[in-house]
Amino acid sequence: MFENTLFFLSATLTIVGAAGVVFSKNLMHACVLLLGSLFGIAGLYATIGADFLAASQLVIYAGGVVILMLFAVMLTGGSADSSNKFGIEKIPGMGSTKTYVIAGFSVLVISFTILKLMANFMKSYKAGELPAFSSTVEEIGTLLVTDHVLAFEISSILLLGALVGAAVIARPRKG
Amino acid sequence: MSPSLNEYLNQFEGHQKVIATVTEVLGFDATGLMTFIVFFTGAFVVVNVMALVGGLGTYAERKISADIQLRQGPNRVGPYGLLQFLADGVKMIMKEDIFPAQADKTLFNLAPLLALIGVFATLAVVPFSSGLTLANLNVGVFYLIGVSSLVGVAVFLGGYSANSKWSMLGGMRGASQIISYEVPVTISILTIVLISGGMSFGSFVGGQGGFPHEWYIFHNPFTFIGFFVFFVGMLAETNRAPFDLPEAESELVSGYHTEYTGMRFGLFALAEYIEVFVLCGVAAAAFLGGYRVPFNLGDGVVFVEKLGLPPIIGKNIGQVLQLGAFLTKTLFLYYVVIWVRWTFPRIRVDQVMTICWKYLTPLALFNLVGVTIWVFAFDGHSIWDVLGHMLSSGSGGGHH
Repeated sequence: MFENTLFFLSATLTIVGAAGVVFSKNLMHACVLLLGSLFGIAGLYATIGADFLAASQLVIYAGGVVILMLFAVMLTGGSADSSNKFGIEKIPGMGSTKTYVIAGFSVLVISFTILKLMANFMKSYKAGELPAFSSTVEEIGTLLVTDHVLAFEISSILLLGALVGAAVIARPRKG
Repeated sequence: MSPSLNEYLNQFEGHQKVIATVTEVLGFDATGLMTFIVFFTGAFVVVNVMALVGGLGTYAERKISADIQLRQGPNRVGPYGLLQFLADGVKMIMKEDIFPAQADKTLFNLAPLLALIGVFATLAVVPFSSGLTLANLNVGVFYLIGVSSLVGVAVFLGGYSANSKWSMLGGMRGASQIISYEVPVTISILTIVLISGGMSFGSFVGGQGGFPHEWYIFHNPFTFIGFFVFFVGMLAETNRAPFDLPEAESELVSGYHTEYTGMRFGLFALAEYIEVFVLCGVAAAAFLGGYRVPFNLGDGVVFVEKLGLPPIIGKNIGQVLQLGAFLTKTLFLYYVVIWVRWTFPRIRVDQVMTICWKYLTPLALFNLVGVTIWVFAFDGHSIWDVLGHMLSSGSGGGHH
């Protein structure tokens, strides 16, 4: 019963937050609602017993990503009026019938592709097929440095590249 | 070592009997209900006591600062001015609640709540004693870092939503400072994770002993440095002086809570003081042995064997001793935090970032590598074990 309650709470938070992000006119509010939605996702992870993922979700998104998004929105003045001083909409392409149709269609295509990809992971392991772990932390750690070490290293190189690139762009030019 | 409050209570017969009685009366299995009640009561008590600690924190701050500056401090309300914080609270509630006309109302309301929610959520994993831990999560420390970063969002939103230049600058400084200093703090905690082999506070404290030489701070030279990196980073994360740039009075009026009045401001202040307590508790648990009491008095076995007390009383005496040990260490660190605030001048913004990225982060990374090598080379033994082994084998070799 407790898990059901937790699931419904987190799912509601996720969906309401996500809907709020889409329908909110104010970008700042959208960011805060996104925070709520991400917390809901952390709750969903906790519901299925993936405690490490839930905590990482909190650390990475609540701690880092949302604050950076808030910064970016604030510095670009995104929360100001949606029309500029000539009365023209700043983002005219958003929200017309055409974009909704295209977005709906791409959502269908993408979700089918993802479901097709996911089908391989959906199989449930029998007892004894995987080694017993006392917590998901050990399990994720073991898998990261054994089976998925290539993906792990590639992603770290990607992050390093992003870091160096950001430093190069941000560096003041001489002369 | 009982992992959480409920499991601690479950080992007593009285508690089991209560569950059985409730089951009989209600006609269904009351284990779940009783678990809920236990956790609810525990959380209720902990949150309220911590709010009290936060309130007393303001009193301690004023009294200690008065001591340092050769003043009297609050001494009119109650004995030694002890009830000053209650008077302050009443004053804050009575004050007029002002909304700036240009403020973003929703976010302005939300920001103090977010700060308080983030701090109260961290209390779930603080290990007060081996029995009084609300939840011994497998990822306890990670969870704590995650939810406490809500305070950063709150600081930023508070600064943004008030629509004032001072607040905005304070909020930006606060958010950038908090996310920057999270890096060295997290890496310093990671060194302890490496040694203890777990992310829960139970495994942190369980790997240490009651005596200073069994604490992780004296485990090896790297953790000794790591403790100070953690402590400095902790000061910056809680916006305490010398890192109180988000609320620098001399430049920014009062920083991100300039426009807040009454209890809304009070919530920010309360959140700050409780966060300092929680992070001091984390430092105590990760580096200073947490709730461990010397001679294993904490598990209460000695009282049962030597004094002939019934096990339940022995256990509870042990718990009280553990609570005392934890609070002593935490409150000592709390004192140091206040002491630092009234001793050091505030540093500049660029110095804050320099200290974080050019000194603390490389130092923390160096510690991480050092601890990794240490744990690998000496199989997780502390420097005292290694020295003792070397001395005994050295003298043994001398005889032959």
